[in-house]
Amino acid sequence: MSDILKLDKKRLDKFVAALLSEYRLFGPVEANGLTRFAEVESADALKLDSNTDESAKGIFFPQVETILTYENGKTETPSGPDKPIAVLGIRPCDARSLLMLDKVFGTGKYNDSCWTRRYENALIISVGCNTPRAGCFCNWLDLGPFSKQGSDIALTDIGDALLVESCSEKGRGFLESSDEIPFRKPTDDDLSKAAGVREHAESSMEDKVDISSIKAVLDKSWDSSLWDELAGKCLSCAVCAYLCPTCHCFDIQDEKMPGTSRGRRIRIWDTCMAPQFTKEASGHNPRPTGKKRIRQRVMHKFNYFVDVFGEIACVGCGRCVRSCPVNLDIRYVIKRFMDAG
Amino acid sequence: MPDNCYIPIPVTVDKIREESDDKTLRTFDLSFCDEKQAFDYLPGQFCQLSVLGKGEAPFGIASSPTEKGFLRFTVNRVGVVTTALHYLKQGETIGLRGPLGNHYPVEKFKGQNVVIISGGFAFTTLRSLAVYMFAHRKDFADITVIYGARRPGLLLYRDELAEWEKRDDLNLHLTIDKEVSGWDKRVGFVPTVTKEVAPSPKDTWAVVCGPPVMIKYTLPVLFDLGFPPERIYTSLERRMKCGIGKCGRCNIGSKYVCADGPVFSYAELQELPEQY
Ligand SMILES: Cc1cc2nc3c(=O)[nH]c(=O)nc-3n(C[C@H](O)[C@H](O)[C@H](O)COP(=O)(O)OP(=O)(O)OC[C@H]3O[C@@H](n4cnc5c(N)ncnc54)[C@H](O)[C@@H]3O)c2cc1C
Ligand code: SF4
Ligand code: FES
Repeated sequence: MSDILKLDKKRLDKFVAALLSEYRLFGPVEANGLTRFAEVESADALKLDSNTDESAKGIFFPQVETILTYENGKTETPSGPDKPIAVLGIRPCDARSLLMLDKVFGTGKYNDSCWTRRYENALIISVGCNTPRAGCFCNWLDLGPFSKQGSDIALTDIGDALLVESCSEKGRGFLESSDEIPFRKPTDDDLSKAAGVREHAESSMEDKVDISSIKAVLDKSWDSSLWDELAGKCLSCAVCAYLCPTCHCFDIQDEKMPGTSRGRRIRIWDTCMAPQFTKEASGHNPRPTGKKRIRQRVMHKFNYFVDVFGEIACVGCGRCVRSCPVNLDIRYVIKRFMDAG
Repeated sequence: MPDNCYIPIPVTVDKIREESDDKTLRTFDLSFCDEKQAFDYLPGQFCQLSVLGKGEAPFGIASSPTEKGFLRFTVNRVGVVTTALHYLKQGETIGLRGPLGNHYPVEKFKGQNVVIISGGFAFTTLRSLAVYMFAHRKDFADITVIYGARRPGLLLYRDELAEWEKRDDLNLHLTIDKEVSGWDKRVGFVPTVTKEVAPSPKDTWAVVCGPPVMIKYTLPVLFDLGFPPERIYTSLERRMKCGIGKCGRCNIGSKYVCADGPVFSYAELQELPEQY
């Protein structure tokens, strides 16, 4: 069996049906003028033409998640998804970000089962980015609009059809066992269309900047005056962290049903940009100023994460670039440090 | 599938003791509701104590692993969880996650002298360390404890300190900030007493825990005495939530205090970008 298959877009419903028989399916949808990931039950709901405004992290790391419930002093783990999760139409940048989050949650002395029980058996089907958005810079980060890292199956949109390629055993297994999907063999013309789409996408991006030495540069930039300049601009609104596919900080809170002994412990996305984030019971706060907080955010992604996991915790999705209300462009920040270093 | 690492282990409150004369500190002895869930630990490690409906907070383990049948914690009342803990009654059940974090390097201390320097209620895990070393007394050479508080009523574990004073295998120096009647031991701040006692740095490891100002003025004394940063250890505190290196809250540079600490040597801390 050839590694690359072809599926007419008209028959995407068959692909979706095959996925739904084994998985809970999530994909990009549009609601209230914003694109985000949500559970879908038909191919019609999918919006595959451009990257989503929100990242895909919430599928596996929900913004609010019950980590335990309790009643009469007894705790219980809430049941996980009844079926494994499949994601259809995630972009290569988000697919790669899941590998990074898996390093945080799924490795080390403690395996975070809240994450692992969703991600471990998940089937990740990415779609290449024919039209990178303004602000996208995945090409700076050893990725590209057609990168396959973190994908089990990769799709390429060639107009009326999708080329379908398995990139993992899991992906191959699914495709081989799904006889009811009317795959065809791509023609040479299809393959050259795909190559053309890819080339067009890659060349439409702004030039790559080599940031491989950014960790070393930041090692020497702790006292840089640039932090003051950034802090002067940043509003600490945390939109960047909320939309970021690799930001994983969270808070834990208890909720109790009034008048009962029942309640739940939840975890909620949190951000190092919030002044209370590190405030201690004594009143002492190790990161009391905007300068220290923005330094933390940049350092975590481009220095500390590299130290611990050997890679930069940024996939160049461009969401923070597009959404920051004061136009604090992370590409510009990184370039400034590189130039100064 | 791994177990849910956020589920606390049920423990019973066996004993509650008022620890300080201002009623801000209480000591709790806890035991596992199910003995099968009991764990081993080492001095310096901590646990998240959990009061359902209120939340969790991290506390150093004040008992020593050589003391069987209970886990001890001393809690300073400052906020939501610590207040809920202070309201606990004997026999009630709470939850606990642990043991978390690393520990004092007792392996490195073997055959060496150890100086413990502490102020206020930071003494908790140092009590654990001292009791641990007493239980393995032959494994260690000289043991010195310098411990101070603002006034006698704020020293933790006073009955036990009185017992320790009778030991001939321990150099114990208790001190309070200001003269009060009935106090026949030292008067003076911990850094000053450290200077007076002047422990020899030869084959000696120092462990220093206390309020930031005590640490700030004690470190130069130790450096002057000739202690290298590699042989001075401390335990850090940071606001924590997960306690297992996931929630991103407690980092200093690329280290998480909860998972890579809370125990660090000053040599390690000097490598980190922030100073304390
Ligand atoms: C490794 C480690 C070991 C420790 N060991 C001990 C120990 O042995 N004994 C001990 O007593 N303590 C110990 N601590 C400290 C202890 O964990 C804290 O005192 C505890 O977490 C406080 O919890 P709380 O819920 O009572 O306070 P909280 O109510 O959660 O208050 C915590 C923070 O939230 C802020 N806050 C609360 N409400 C508000 C509000 N409305 N608006 C703005 N800010 C607010 C407070 O200012 C404070 O900064 C240790 C800490 C660590 C990290
Ligand atoms: S989105 Fe912009 S203004 Fe808001 S916290 Fe991020 S960098 Fe600061
Ligand atoms: S407390 Fe969550 S990372 Fe340390």
